[in-house]
Amino acid sequence: MLGIEDAEHEESSPSAPTLLVSKLSDSLVGKTQTIKILPGSLLHRAYGRDEVTEQFACNFGLNPQFRDKIEKSQLKITSVDLDGEVRVVEVFDHPFYVATLFLPQISSKPESPHPLIVAYLKAALAFRTFGNKK
Amino acid sequence: MDQEVKVGIIGDYAPHSRYHIATDEALGHAATALGISLTPSWIPTQSLSKGSVATTLKPFHALWCAPGSPYKSMDGALQAIKFARERGWPFMGT
Repeated sequence: MLGIEDAEHEESSPSAPTLLVSKLSDSLVGKTQTIKILPGSLLHRAYGRDEVTEQFACNFGLNPQFRDKIEKSQLKITSVDLDGEVRVVEVFDHPFYVATLFLPQISSKPESPHPLIVAYLKAALAFRTFGNKK
Repeated sequence: MDQEVKVGIIGDYAPHSRYHIATDEALGHAATALGISLTPSWIPTQSLSKGSVATTLKPFHALWCAPGSPYKSMDGALQAIKFARERGWPFMGT
């Protein structure tokens, strides 16, 4: 979708020339971060807040070299951390398409299900009822 | 309200992965809160690298790409992500 034919992931192809996904300068494994949420995004509708705290477990992220390319594509950056690093991307021209670096599933509890996962299942329910709207 | 929602989880399920267990559990928490019945199915990435990805994925109402890279088949995972994006299936990647 970015027109990058040879996009690679540093974990599986460490010496590839075009590393779209690269090792984070600081691992996020086991870390909790405050992230900012873009108003008008699906993420913002799910949380109803401008800032949330989320738990991470990853070592890889979007290579900052490709940020311009992302911003000019169908993908929209809808969350960054307090240093401006990308944490969530969405596709706006889509019923529900969200990719997060954090893991919403690890902070969900029976008495407090994660709002993003609730929003996701609402989208699944709408899809089941009304079919493919794209 | 009894409405069954089928979620396809793209990933190579590892029974001891706390993140995989948490994925199933968190879906359960949200489904209970919404009063819907949910059937999550794990779809191994290698099964998506051969044959028709659309045939495998069409029965689901939403797709979720689970944590746990490197996937056994990166190509299979990418095919599924592309299907969700291009064909408008609700999608989450975490």
